[in-house]
Amino acid sequence: MSFIGDEQFEGGNKEKRHREKRRDGSKDRRKRANAKRRERSRADRENEEFEERLVKREKGRRGRVKNDQEAKKREQEEGAGAQVKSGKTAKVKKNIKNEKRRMSEKAGEAGERTEKGKKRVESAKKETATVKHGTRDKTREERKKKHKENSEDKEVKPESLSPDELEKLKEAVDEKKKLIQSLRGKPWPMKKKLVTLESQQFLEKYEGALGKGKGRKLYAYKVMMTKKWMKFQRDFENFKTACIPWEMKIKEIESHFGSSVASYFIFLRWMYGINMILFGLTFGLVMVPEALMGRPYGSIPRKTVPRAEEASAMDFAVLWDFGGYAQYSVLFYGFYSNQRAIGWLKFRMPLSYFLVGVGTVAYSYMVVIRTMARNANESGVGDDNSFNFSWKMFTSWDYLIGNPETADNKFASITTCFKEAILEEQESRKDDNIHLTRFLRVLANFLVLCCLAGSGYLIYFVVRRSQKFALDGFENHTWWERNEVNMVMSLLGMFCPMLFDVISTLENYHPRVALQWQLGRIFALFLGNLYTFIIALMDEINVKREEEKIVKFNITMWEASLYNGTVSENFTASPITIHPADVPRGPCWETMVGQEFVRLIISDTMTTYITLLIGDFLRAVLVRFLNHCWCWDLEAGFPSYSEFDVSGNVLGLIFNQGMIWMGAFYAPCLPALNVLRLHVSMYLQCWAVMCCNVPQERVFKASGSNNFYMAMLLVILFLSTLPAIYTIVTIPPSFDCGPFSGKNRMFDVIRETLESDFPAWFSKVFSYASNPGLVLPFILLMVLAIYYLQSTSKSYKEANVELKKKLQMVIQIMKIILLLPTTVNNWR
Amino acid sequence: MVSGAIALAFLPLLLTLIIRYRYYFVLFYRAVLVRIWKDCVTGLSREERAYQYVLTHSIPGDPDSILDAFDYWCNKVEYISNIGPKKGKILDRILMEQSPLTVLELGAHCGYSTVRIARALPLGARLYSIEMDQTNAAIAEKILRLAGFDDDTVELIVNPSDEVIPRLRSDYNLERVDFVFMDHWKKCYLPDLQMLEECGLLGKGSVILADNVLFPGAPKFLRYIRKSGLYEWKIHRAMLEYSKGIRDGMAELVFQGIK
Repeated sequence: MSFIGDEQFEGGNKEKRHREKRRDGSKDRRKRANAKRRERSRADRENEEFEERLVKREKGRRGRVKNDQEAKKREQEEGAGAQVKSGKTAKVKKNIKNEKRRMSEKAGEAGERTEKGKKRVESAKKETATVKHGTRDKTREERKKKHKENSEDKEVKPESLSPDELEKLKEAVDEKKKLIQSLRGKPWPMKKKLVTLESQQFLEKYEGALGKGKGRKLYAYKVMMTKKWMKFQRDFENFKTACIPWEMKIKEIESHFGSSVASYFIFLRWMYGINMILFGLTFGLVMVPEALMGRPYGSIPRKTVPRAEEASAMDFAVLWDFGGYAQYSVLFYGFYSNQRAIGWLKFRMPLSYFLVGVGTVAYSYMVVIRTMARNANESGVGDDNSFNFSWKMFTSWDYLIGNPETADNKFASITTCFKEAILEEQESRKDDNIHLTRFLRVLANFLVLCCLAGSGYLIYFVVRRSQKFALDGFENHTWWERNEVNMVMSLLGMFCPMLFDVISTLENYHPRVALQWQLGRIFALFLGNLYTFIIALMDEINVKREEEKIVKFNITMWEASLYNGTVSENFTASPITIHPADVPRGPCWETMVGQEFVRLIISDTMTTYITLLIGDFLRAVLVRFLNHCWCWDLEAGFPSYSEFDVSGNVLGLIFNQGMIWMGAFYAPCLPALNVLRLHVSMYLQCWAVMCCNVPQERVFKASGSNNFYMAMLLVILFLSTLPAIYTIVTIPPSFDCGPFSGKNRMFDVIRETLESDFPAWFSKVFSYASNPGLVLPFILLMVLAIYYLQSTSKSYKEANVELKKKLQMVIQIMKIILLLPTTVNNWR
Repeated sequence: MVSGAIALAFLPLLLTLIIRYRYYFVLFYRAVLVRIWKDCVTGLSREERAYQYVLTHSIPGDPDSILDAFDYWCNKVEYISNIGPKKGKILDRILMEQSPLTVLELGAHCGYSTVRIARALPLGARLYSIEMDQTNAAIAEKILRLAGFDDDTVELIVNPSDEVIPRLRSDYNLERVDFVFMDHWKKCYLPDLQMLEECGLLGKGSVILADNVLFPGAPKFLRYIRKSGLYEWKIHRAMLEYSKGIRDGMAELVFQGIK
């Protein structure tokens, strides 16, 4: 019988939940009545006492109900142990409440319910659906049990709940809600807070029972739903965080290595996002349409491997150098045909090519500048000099550190930082050593300049030599000589920053400042290398264009001879069809430029990875395993594990991106390659950092450095678009390859589109709009607006500083006023 | 054949390595090359040369002048890895604070640290100094006699530390050691410490001072004291003796016993 009841109970589970809430409500009301009579100070005590009373009341009620079954059971159970008893009382209590609620219910039904309830408690652990209720009951019962014995004799009158009391309950609930919300800000001891927080249970229990009459059920439902909704929102937030790519990895690194290393990975992720979009643009609007809708491979000369190269076109060495079949594919500029529209969609291929080229750059500018503006807002305006020690005292801990060793390092670094700051303060008062420091800084810069000049000269020398080799023909030289330029550039880019790092110890800057100097120096180095490379490339372009002129002349001769040959035999016959592989063709400098960039990117990537594997991984392995049999401590002493080089990695990333921006116009595959590279390096570097690097000795926060990266990225973006735009604007495209072949300049495609695809009035409007008379005033207006905004922001900044000064003045005046009475007294 | 330009590109790396690890190169030169050279030239061992210098340049019976002579010799003439003046000050301070009655020194070498400890000891205290090497021990003994310490203050035991420690209780009637100074083989730090624990020679409040825990370094020892929980410990960071740029540290352990 009892089991049947159980099932019923489970079936009506939902209903019961509401009922229970109502029961809670009634309890509460009674409790308020009690509270009226007796004033108590503590919430939990209140609860307990109230529950005691309830038990008593139930007993009285029980007697009144005189339900046979119930009485029997009570007797049986009274013989049993204390736990059974408590369980029973809980049931009985519930039962009584139910009765009160539903006066019309029959006594038998009530008995049934008690049974159900009893069973529920007894088999709470077994039931899965009712586990929650069961446990809650249990805790309540335990509490009751405690108080049962000493309060058995007290008599409690049954009370009815007046709307007045209901109102009070509501007030109490609201009050507690407010209290809990403002608890965090209260200047109380923790103990008191914890005690107060216990009233949260009270809230949870009774909140649902508020509301009046029929609306009560709805209200309870609403409360439940809001809670569910809140939980869902929280889960959703968690889900969103989980969806951010690599977030957990970065957080882990952050906890081990501090935020400066993490800032690199965040930057890498951001870069990945940008490159994904660039890749989407080039892939979706240029490569795929050409591959699907353009003429197929082998249809025209520019899409065919020339006869001379056919034999080796599929060799791995050739493909690895992006020659052969790779060169004559959608990966490079030269493959695209100059048909105005391709496929059944009438896709304007040349226009799309041009617009995508411009669009990627424009998008990059937009994103970089927008991010910079956002970062500028985030980094608050504060002068770092005024409260130096307070800042150090209260803000120097990095709360993201989750690794004991890093925490040790951080602790040590804070201590040394304090020591240094105190020394600095003392020295700044003495200021006799400042000359030495200045001298050392100047010396360091001098050394760095020497180093830069040396590396610049070396690259120049190598480039000149490689041009000589190129004239001789590369076949006569060894692999080392052929790859000399790339090798030297990579090696210098790798080793010079290390030298700069060593030199910068002379300067004795704060690590954050030192990092910026380091970044600036590496920037100069890389820029020098890159521009040397570009200048060499420009020379090569000129060579190719000379070659092109000759080829063009030769082709006309060749065609003429061809026609002459045929003409002489048969005047009316159609010209002989020649296989596209046999047609002579120009050197196509655009493809050459694209190839150079792709090669550079590949060699750069390879160098990075190899350095990572040798410099970090191999070293870590050696240090780790040789340490068992070495005469000094390798881990703590001489070779040690490597530290993560934030500045070098950031700059590597930035210059890599610069090369992408430069070369993407001539090699549409570059963004794809870069996405691949970034993806791999994300995993590889995350792994390498966690497995072979140690936290920096001076862990510091990198809050301000993000915008520094961005500023450098902007500069690089500008500097890398310059050569690209220069080539687009000044050099005419090759005559027989690429989407702009046959045009005088690449941007002529815009004019052509305007003329043929748009109505006449539009081109007219456009020509008016592009009139210098209109453009110049517009530019002037923009410059004026920028100037205005800049000056207003400057004045705001000044006002800020003024206000800060005033605030300090006021504080001082206040101090004087407060101190005045005592000083006056002293005078007296 | 690798071209000269590529080789030149390695120049920054070479410079970096030389500049970054210059102190280690200097140390290598002074501690190894000079030593071998002098050994060949004079036919004496390094410790003997040091003793000769000290003998001629110090006042007998004055430990301070002996230490000064040692410091001068190690700084300017040759290199011996004594505890050195700077870390010696830390040692002195700890000894003054503790004023231990029973002191154990592992690794006397040529007696510099023994003199240093012995002069800071309170009246009635006794120092047991363990040295493995016979010739070194002879020199240490001479130095000690030169400084004016007799057998009642300093007991020099010529035996490896791992043989001596288990017998300390039986042979030397030691119940408890108040202070232990470790400056012998870095690999022996951990086994010796564990042996001391096993023999029950450490009581609550016994101090153990281990030199050179960072360079040449005793990583296993440090790992052990971090984990074991028997000690309160800290590392006094300092520079390596008679060298400017190499970081080193002394670990100070206070035995707490099992809580």
